[in-house]
Amino acid sequence: MMRLFRQFILRPLLRDRVRTATTIVGVALGIAVIIAIQLTNASSVRGFETALEAVAGKTSIEIVGSGSGIDETLLPSLGWLREFGVVSPVVQGDAALVEPDAVGQPDGTREAGRPRTEAVRVLGVDILRDQPFREYRLLDVGAGEPEVTTQRFLQLLTNERAVVITEKLARRRGLALGGEIRLMIGDRVVSYTIRGLLKDEGPARVLDGNFALMDIAAAQLAFDRLGRIDRIDLLLRNPEDLQRTLVALGPRLPAGIEAQRPARRGAQVETMLAAFQMNLTALSWIALVVGLFLVYNTVTISVVARRQEIGMLRALGVTGPQVLALFLGEAAALAVAGTVLGLGLARVLADAAVALTSATVSTLYIASVSAPPAMTWGHVALAAGLGLPLSLLAAAVPALEASRVAPTAAMHGHDTLEMRVRLRPVMLVAPLVVIGAAAGLARLGPVNGRPYFGYVSAFAIVIGASLIVPAVMFGLSRASRGFLRGRLGVEGLLAHANLSAAIPRISISVAALAVSLSMMVAIAVMIGSFRDTVVYWVGQTVRADLFVGPGVRPTVGSEQTLSSEVIEAVTRHPDVVAVDSFRNLDLVYNGNLVVLGAGHFDVALSRGALLFKSPSNARAAMRAAIGQDAVIISEPFANKYGKHDGDVVGISTPNGPREFRVAAVYYDYSSDRGVIVMDFSTFSRYYGALPPTGIAAYIKDGVDPERVRSQILAGLDEGHRAFIYTNRALRTEVLRIFDSTFAITYALELIAIVVAMLGVAGTLLTLVLERRRELSLLRLTGADRRQVTRMVMIEAAMIGAVSQGVGLTMGLALSMVLIYVINVQSFGWTIQFHLPTAFLVQSTIVVIAATAVAGVYPARRAAQLILSQDE
Amino acid sequence: MRCRILLAILAAGCVVAAQGGASWREASPGYTFAFPRDHASHPDFKIEWWYYTGNVAAKDGRRFGYQVTFFRVGVDPAPANPSKWAVRDLFMTHLAVSDPVGKRYRYAERLSRGGPGLAGADVERYRVWNDDWSASLDDQGRHRLLASDKGTGLDLALDEGRKPVVHGLGGISQKGAEAGNASHYYSLTRMPTRGTITVDGERVEVAGESWMDHEFGTSFLEPDQVGWDWLSIQLADGRELMLYQLRQADGRRDPRSSGTLVGADGRVTHLAAADFTLAPGGPVYRSANGATYPVAWTIVLPSLNLNLKITTPLNTQELSFEGSTGVAYWEGLIDVAGQAGGKPVMGRGYLEMTGYHGNLGQVLSGR
Repeated sequence: MMRLFRQFILRPLLRDRVRTATTIVGVALGIAVIIAIQLTNASSVRGFETALEAVAGKTSIEIVGSGSGIDETLLPSLGWLREFGVVSPVVQGDAALVEPDAVGQPDGTREAGRPRTEAVRVLGVDILRDQPFREYRLLDVGAGEPEVTTQRFLQLLTNERAVVITEKLARRRGLALGGEIRLMIGDRVVSYTIRGLLKDEGPARVLDGNFALMDIAAAQLAFDRLGRIDRIDLLLRNPEDLQRTLVALGPRLPAGIEAQRPARRGAQVETMLAAFQMNLTALSWIALVVGLFLVYNTVTISVVARRQEIGMLRALGVTGPQVLALFLGEAAALAVAGTVLGLGLARVLADAAVALTSATVSTLYIASVSAPPAMTWGHVALAAGLGLPLSLLAAAVPALEASRVAPTAAMHGHDTLEMRVRLRPVMLVAPLVVIGAAAGLARLGPVNGRPYFGYVSAFAIVIGASLIVPAVMFGLSRASRGFLRGRLGVEGLLAHANLSAAIPRISISVAALAVSLSMMVAIAVMIGSFRDTVVYWVGQTVRADLFVGPGVRPTVGSEQTLSSEVIEAVTRHPDVVAVDSFRNLDLVYNGNLVVLGAGHFDVALSRGALLFKSPSNARAAMRAAIGQDAVIISEPFANKYGKHDGDVVGISTPNGPREFRVAAVYYDYSSDRGVIVMDFSTFSRYYGALPPTGIAAYIKDGVDPERVRSQILAGLDEGHRAFIYTNRALRTEVLRIFDSTFAITYALELIAIVVAMLGVAGTLLTLVLERRRELSLLRLTGADRRQVTRMVMIEAAMIGAVSQGVGLTMGLALSMVLIYVINVQSFGWTIQFHLPTAFLVQSTIVVIAATAVAGVYPARRAAQLILSQDE
Repeated sequence: MRCRILLAILAAGCVVAAQGGASWREASPGYTFAFPRDHASHPDFKIEWWYYTGNVAAKDGRRFGYQVTFFRVGVDPAPANPSKWAVRDLFMTHLAVSDPVGKRYRYAERLSRGGPGLAGADVERYRVWNDDWSASLDDQGRHRLLASDKGTGLDLALDEGRKPVVHGLGGISQKGAEAGNASHYYSLTRMPTRGTITVDGERVEVAGESWMDHEFGTSFLEPDQVGWDWLSIQLADGRELMLYQLRQADGRRDPRSSGTLVGADGRVTHLAAADFTLAPGGPVYRSANGATYPVAWTIVLPSLNLNLKITTPLNTQELSFEGSTGVAYWEGLIDVAGQAGGKPVMGRGYLEMTGYHGNLGQVLSGR
């Protein structure tokens, strides 16, 4: 049997290199995309979690405040925490490493936005209390001191400009002990002296060595957090008492302060990214589905091409099941090769995908390392578990067909596929039922905040549309005969006849291509609509002339604030007539991270232009909310947590939980986490006078905002760096972020289409091989090479046209599900449906042309047939 | 005169303080003490400590010793950073309990910056604290000591007993050749004490006598001084004696060694180096870290016809903080026996020996 397999299956596979390679690449791409997305998703969350673990060290419990950290004066009254173990107060944040070459140009002449810099996690501790928590191994402090006592360590750090960095960072950036390192925090650029180098252990592993240790006093000053600490770490004397201690601490802690496990922050970030990542995962599966169509194709081709040989085998006594095994073996060989190649490819794709997504993740969510994690055996198992069984499943249909080949008939070439199947009612009813089910599923709500039914609905649309392909083709076959004959002459007529005769065979290829095309259409429509909505929203709501933000972009767990010098410089400028400063905080609501914002409602009402969803008199409601315990909430917040105007939201404040009335719901596309906004007076009453995270400035009419911007920036001293966007620049920046967010989506889509094109080429090849005799006959009866080639290419283009037609329809249906179900349920925002007509027309032309091109190789084969034909 | 313990920390302070513009006040002659005000902190001076040692016993006669020391070491008199966490002073506190009967010696430390009230020393009223350890004056004018750590601890109330005794001449205790190398130094030499002591979780009610030292100054050490030996003795005849002897790198005794004798009537006599000899002899104690401490001494004060033999019932009374500050010294209860004017005399006290572990002179001079 093995010998038979080698001769009958492997040898032809090796001989027919193009077909084999195409299939293997198709499977490999499918596998690779899935694994790459898994790795990519893991990279952002795991990056955050490993950073969290490395910094948490041995911390068993952390005590955190609501709002911006904990008031440090509470610390002496928390002395009783000592009963449970050791306690260490911590200030933590992210800084940007200032590039030496950028130092000279603090005006940030580039309009495009903040330059990309390396993030450095800064931990500020009281080393006298912190040493039991984290492993700091000072590699070098100079003067050849062998042992560094705690007190000596303190001495190294006790200066507001002292910092200890990792050896890794020092080596990478060419920094030396005793040298300077410039860090930007918020809008401040500060030069620090490197007082020590840490070995690559414990917290020094954070963000691949981008870690700096400071004294807690220096960190407070650096992060403008005088009087506040971010959390208190607690190392239990009896770690096994963790759960009991958490329960015991709760009631003893003052209002607004709670105890949690450090891992909880990781879980919050995981939930935050879940929706974004689930979408990527769903997309990645499409590539695999398309790859499986290729397996089907290839096995079909080999069955078709060797019907006579199969018949011979059967006549020689090889049983049906053995034939089945032979062809399943072929699929398995392809799957194994594809999976192995796919795993290798996944690594490359993951790097690319991480490059594409990390910008999004760090722009919108968290600081992370731009390197995918190592592939584990789990990934290999997943790849094998998907690639092999699914390939066998795909090959089952043609393999079964092969096993049923009657010995003698095939040998005589009498039984060529009898495929004149007629249109039966079930071919129309089944898909319609499935599509009806899809429509029903789309109406169901989310489960745990995830649009599972939405995904099932989308899947049902794909299945339904694939099932309807044969019926559509029968219909088209009847309708198009005259047209083809009239326009494309005898070649068109022949192509039509050929395709009509092979509808069941072609349908699968058409469906495969249509599925990938439909996804492209759906995603294009969704993104196009989304983009249009955002453009409109930005145009309506972004009214201020200048937007001033700190030089470092804030991310979760790292607030970046504006200093009074910068605020002064903006406010004092003679052309600035009004200023609205705002402040953002990360807030835990229902266990999820949402944004709590504060702004001046009066300025926003008189000069800004929020777009309100409800109530109808939202502006009056917002005015009435000034100074009250009332908030306005963003649409994603309203959708995710089921809150509407008039409802009450419970928010944790430093004074304990408080209830706020929802005055209005406004449209917002800046954050899918959900935003709660308070008037500044209300905010500072509960959260204290915190420095702002941004300012919006309005300038005199007729004054050039660009000039005001440059003047303000030129007036800042060397120690301050703000980023100021003019209104126009901000709009551009918003769209730039938007486009970069969806770059990965396009990339995935492109891969699926490439795979589908390979499928079309394979299908045509099947058809050509099936019709060897006909084609030879054609040549013998006078058709020349060019005509045969033309005929096959017309067939290809027709397949492309039909696929695109089905794909377009299916894609529009899918886009509805994406826009009205999946997006609303996972992100919570309303997208106005908008048809990107130009894109759709262009893509249709491109697809038909591309499929025609995909027909080139089969067409050449067809044209050559006559010469090599010896039958 | 126990500043040698602080050498390591002092060195740290020097480096940082050198950067700032502000400076510390130096001890100068003519300082007038006033109590209870001078019990409180003197933050103008760089170094200050409150030192309690005592010999106490349980009702059943079981003997115990204790030591609690609050050190304040100035690091930067005016830190540039407005943060409350900026290190102006370091607070180091040592706690030790001796149980000579059970042959147990337990000690612990607290090392902390002031921060937002985590450790500190009040200026208005006597209260010095380090986390949950504290020494303070209560409304009845008693000293209250409170410190405990993992089964070792004490909770004591001390009456002042006799009037405070100011050491040295003209309110200043000279420690080095240079004018500023001096301190303001006084003691409460016999404080009736009661309360509880805890050893290994066993809480014992005790009563006895304590000795308190309070000293503050800015610089009083010189690079060639490698260590010293210090004693406080409460004699049964009603007299108290304090002696310290500075040892130089070449092994000789520093001429600034001195002491104070308090008569039974409270009369205070200053003792210059020439007035006494203090010599080791007899058994030594070798500690785990390699130091060798002479645990038996002989004191001779020829002019007073006073001859005293010093022994200890517990050799192992060494505090060693290798990881945190690198400080190690021997501080423990002692027995005193000898002759005064031809008559036998007994006593109890505390002995301190420093500079026996590592070359402290090197640390001091920053080499």
